[in-house]
Amino acid sequence: MTHRFRTLRSLFPISRSGTPRAAFLGSSWPAKMAAPVGKAARGWSVLALGLRSVVPRLPGLTQVRWSRYGPEYRDPQIDKEYYRKPLAELTEEEKYEQELRKIQLIKAAPAAKTSSVFEDPVISKFTNMMMKGGNKVLARSLMTQTLEAVKRKQFEKYHAASAQEQATIERNPYTIFHQALKNCEPVIGLVPILRGGHFYQVPVPLPDRRRRFLAMKWMITECREKKHRRMLMPEKLSHELLEAFHNQGPVVKKKQDMHKMAEANRALAHYRWW
Amino acid sequence: MLKRMTRLVSGARQLDPGRLLHGGPQAPQSLAAHPDNQVPDGSPRAVSCTSEGDPARHGEQHEARHYCIPLQDLRTTFPHGLPPRFGMQVRTFNEACLMVRRPALELLHYLKNTNFAHPAVRYVLYGEKGTGKTLSLCHVIHFCAKQDWLILHIPDAHLWVKNCRDLLQSTYNKQRFDQPVEASSWLKNFKTANERFLSQIKVQEKYVWNKRESTEKGHPLGEVVEQGLTHVRNATDAVGIVLKELKSQSRLGAFRLLVAVDGVNALWGRTTLKREDKSPVAPEELALVHSLRKMVRNDWHGGAIVLTLSQTGSLFKPRKAYLPQELLGKEGFDALDPFIPILVSNYSPKEFESCIQYYLENSWLQHEKAHTEEGKKELLFLSNANPGQLERLCAYL
Repeated sequence: MTHRFRTLRSLFPISRSGTPRAAFLGSSWPAKMAAPVGKAARGWSVLALGLRSVVPRLPGLTQVRWSRYGPEYRDPQIDKEYYRKPLAELTEEEKYEQELRKIQLIKAAPAAKTSSVFEDPVISKFTNMMMKGGNKVLARSLMTQTLEAVKRKQFEKYHAASAQEQATIERNPYTIFHQALKNCEPVIGLVPILRGGHFYQVPVPLPDRRRRFLAMKWMITECREKKHRRMLMPEKLSHELLEAFHNQGPVVKKKQDMHKMAEANRALAHYRWW
Repeated sequence: MLKRMTRLVSGARQLDPGRLLHGGPQAPQSLAAHPDNQVPDGSPRAVSCTSEGDPARHGEQHEARHYCIPLQDLRTTFPHGLPPRFGMQVRTFNEACLMVRRPALELLHYLKNTNFAHPAVRYVLYGEKGTGKTLSLCHVIHFCAKQDWLILHIPDAHLWVKNCRDLLQSTYNKQRFDQPVEASSWLKNFKTANERFLSQIKVQEKYVWNKRESTEKGHPLGEVVEQGLTHVRNATDAVGIVLKELKSQSRLGAFRLLVAVDGVNALWGRTTLKREDKSPVAPEELALVHSLRKMVRNDWHGGAIVLTLSQTGSLFKPRKAYLPQELLGKEGFDALDPFIPILVSNYSPKEFESCIQYYLENSWLQHEKAHTEEGKKELLFLSNANPGQLERLCAYL
């Protein structure tokens, strides 16, 4: 049911990214800008509340994703290159943005986000999903060991292969990781829809973020459950990633099973109304 | 926000066809004959590698360059194996390349000018964690092996004072304990490393093992080693005999002896071993440690003693401790005094550059950003030019 609620939420003009539109809306209420931080941090400004009262309050539905930040808060700019641009090269829009940053409120950057050149948002997301009990140190070390294991296995294959085959062997663990997850993403998913007292599995196109989430979730679940008791996670995960890179293995099979089920249930597709 | 992230991802991860072929020019070099033959100056490996394979000819001009040890020599010179991470690197690259660094060059200079009539000088390599003490020791061992010295290499003395399954009461001295497993594995590796000396050196006393077996005076040392290998109960005593014989015979000048111990602070620390009544065992009550302590004293001549301090495997020592006084304690320091301390520190800018260049030439750094100046600056910052940290960082990049 949450997807329906999220659709309604997307009707709000307030966007999470700090676009000028949101900023403009925020600045049209100067009283709110001067409001003490505590009041703004409480959640929704009067503007949002004003807009929310337009929407009928649906019974049984509560807000799922809170943020302590109001809509006037902008996302932090972490990219080093943005700040290194000399003044002369900035366009009008960028100059306006930079001026705006001096007076706008900015959210705090999350602790895991760095301005490192080696940072990869997909790897960070995967590490967070692997994390248990907040033990980010362990999750990160498992991730780095996995990447190292993938690299060493590929190097071994490279040295054992002939000159023609060497050109086809990919040794970059990051390309392998991204390609493997892309190969595991389902294109179409199944959603249970209530009709006439029964739940039917209806094939539905999945948004990008849901597909990425499912690929990562399947990969992690597979590696956690289907491994020998004594085998360590990096070893199993590197093996699964390499198999998925070559479009083989249990995770890709799961994706294909999902596609087959959707194909089998395609008669129910008209149950979808969005 | 996620849309912006996906745009970032797709921008950074465009598969460049040139990248797949990047390994191409490197392939013939790694698969072909070893770079022991002359490397032409135009090739990329000339920057970080040198073709000089003999440590005796290493000098100032080879500083910060890598030199290769042939893989066949590895098995005879380092039968105990190299440090685990370096061993993994050797298996991955199919070559064993050590960097020529200043502490090792200093040590080699001292060893070349040793006066074998004087008592053996003790050199102690110390430094912070991950700075390259063990690999400097390996460099020195390779030099001595090439010069045909007899090498007495204990790869990690900490392994003798912890995690020992069976402690037997020593037959020779009731107060001490035997460690059959450790002693027999060390004897096996000692035999592989110094095969040719075992038949030349003759035992100077008669040793009685039990009622039926004994080794007569004048028999080769190989017999003692065989006895220790076949009868594991006598392995510790065999080790003690080998050390005693080598020490007494090195003054005769038939061979030069190098005693190389890694983690020598284990000999004077505490152990985690316990007797049956759960009371702790002191290191001097272990027969192996006792004989090794005698070996490390400078009351013999005809060789040299090179030692390394190590906090990594040590017991009950704080992580930040690296100075000789901290790691050896008063007892150890007094036992080793006087010694020549050699500090091994982090990479200099030239060495760092050379290391990165070596990784780039072997295509070890696969991340696109690692090739840029930004990436190199970030690696320098993250590792603080510490060789161990840099190796771990580059492993997953």
